[in-house]
Amino acid sequence: MNSLWWLALPTLLLPIWWHRKKRVQVAAEPMATARFLPRTEPRQMRVWRWADVILMILRCLLLACLIAWLANPVLPWRGNTVVVAEGTDARWAEQQVQAAGFKDAARLSLPAARALAWVRSHEREWKPDARLLVLGDIPMPATPPQFRHALDLRTLAKPSVPGEVHVAVAGERAGEWRRMFAALNGPLRAVVEEAPGAKTELIVWDQLEAPPASMRAPLWWVADASAFPELAKAPTVDGIRYADSARGRLWTSDAWPPSDPAAARRLLETWRSLHYAPLPYTAPSQSFAASPTPAAMHADGALRGFLMWALVALFALERMVTHARRR
Amino acid sequence: MASVSSALIAHTTNLDLVIRHVLAGLGQGIHAGRERGSGVEFSEYRAYAPGDEWRRVDWKLLARADRYYVREAERDSHVALWLVLDASASMMEPSRSIPGLDKLAYARTLLACVAAIAQRQGDAFGLVVLSGGRVQFTPAARGPRQLQRVLARLNAARAEGELPDAAALKSGLRFAGAPSLVFAASDFLDFPSPLSEALLRLRHMRHDVRLACIQTEAECTGGFDADPAYRDPEREGGVFRFGADLREGYLRNREAHFATVTAACRAADVPLVDARIEQAPGDVLRMWLRQAGRR
Repeated sequence: MNSLWWLALPTLLLPIWWHRKKRVQVAAEPMATARFLPRTEPRQMRVWRWADVILMILRCLLLACLIAWLANPVLPWRGNTVVVAEGTDARWAEQQVQAAGFKDAARLSLPAARALAWVRSHEREWKPDARLLVLGDIPMPATPPQFRHALDLRTLAKPSVPGEVHVAVAGERAGEWRRMFAALNGPLRAVVEEAPGAKTELIVWDQLEAPPASMRAPLWWVADASAFPELAKAPTVDGIRYADSARGRLWTSDAWPPSDPAAARRLLETWRSLHYAPLPYTAPSQSFAASPTPAAMHADGALRGFLMWALVALFALERMVTHARRR
Repeated sequence: MASVSSALIAHTTNLDLVIRHVLAGLGQGIHAGRERGSGVEFSEYRAYAPGDEWRRVDWKLLARADRYYVREAERDSHVALWLVLDASASMMEPSRSIPGLDKLAYARTLLACVAAIAQRQGDAFGLVVLSGGRVQFTPAARGPRQLQRVLARLNAARAEGELPDAAALKSGLRFAGAPSLVFAASDFLDFPSPLSEALLRLRHMRHDVRLACIQTEAECTGGFDADPAYRDPEREGGVFRFGADLREGYLRNREAHFATVTAACRAADVPLVDARIEQAPGDVLRMWLRQAGRR
């Protein structure tokens, strides 16, 4: 769509048209006996002569720049490139580069999650015969991607570090809760504390009296709902009633603390799936052959910034020269 | 007789030289002047005084009387000669066939020749130049100095502006009551005009008025280029075009105009010579003077 703006290039003829001197009256010779002739309209000749060549060039450049800015051209300037996801082991990456023969290729560091999408949308920047090597812990895309250039994807799954979640447990049955959180395995680990702190993400409230008004957390598990009036008419999903309050989101259930391992696992699983994003799955290493897919339309030209500056500079120059000419 | 072509006028600004060439082919005594030159008509003898020319001493009387006597000639030139030059802008019109020649140069040459003839015959002559709405008047006198003065005035005349109006002409043409000859050279494109009326009035006052109508070959035959635009040098505004389609109308208008001129001159008994500047000036001059002599 953008490239249709190039059709506006004939507007460059306008300043050229304006800047030529059009009409020059034919010089009249004296003739003593002209009085015996009928009077005629003065004839005018069109003479192709330039006026203010510098100003004309400036105006033409200004127009061309504007059209180029609108057309948003993308110049294929990138050659062979190694895309390294941020946080990738440098030594492993170096080995892969050597092995794939990309020693002289340019390096490009991108966030792992957006690396493939970025390459796809900026593909017009690569020369037609360029090859790409993508290294790092690249998550697997939902659909098999297609590229216009040969792309080699080599992945190295990073050892997953389980995330820590601070949990505060208040009440007489704290031991049971602690045992349940101790059984939590997978990408999450719970750190159980006596009193809630700034990092606390879950407060388990297993006592009758209401908590102090200043105590806040994203999620509360309440064993006895009598202290929380918000839960009185709360909807129930899968045996858990939930409501939003000024302190944070409240969950409650009559069967808490869970009495059997299956109930405990279900509660923990529900909690994790609702509050924590799943960890990305590292894509397997593979090679994509170049396929003649159309270029992504929304690729943003790298020239746009430069063109904008050129436009501003040319505009300022044009104004100055016009002003100077009027003097 | 080898007549001097008008190309000579285009080649030199030296009026003396042109006069000599033109008059060489013309011969002497063509002017039937009413006055005599010095020493023609005997009047009386008087005793010699130091400073008198030796050639005026009567040698026969010296032999008889053994005294020096000088022959006194009668010098009663009553006829003054007036040269009137129209130097309005229209006289700038160049010849379209001879480069460098224009109507003013041609008229100037004719008048200079008349002045030279007058000087040779001992007549007094004066000059009136009409240019830029003003009248430049040189009083009549005799002698070679006057000739040089008149030639310088003629040389200095530039074709510009329009003819002077009637009031300026009336104060400018202050001719004596004595009969005089008036040689006027103009293109008579403005007719009737204050100038033509003044000349005809002079004729009515029994002066001998002779007109030369100066024109170019292209003006007479309509031989202008069709390419350029033209303007009238004496009238503001307006551009004119010339072409084969307009030629007939041009010639008709021009003929009608000069028919009035000729008719007016004939009615006032004023001889009018049509002079084309491409013609040899000697021929034109002979015609101008002969016409005068016939009367």
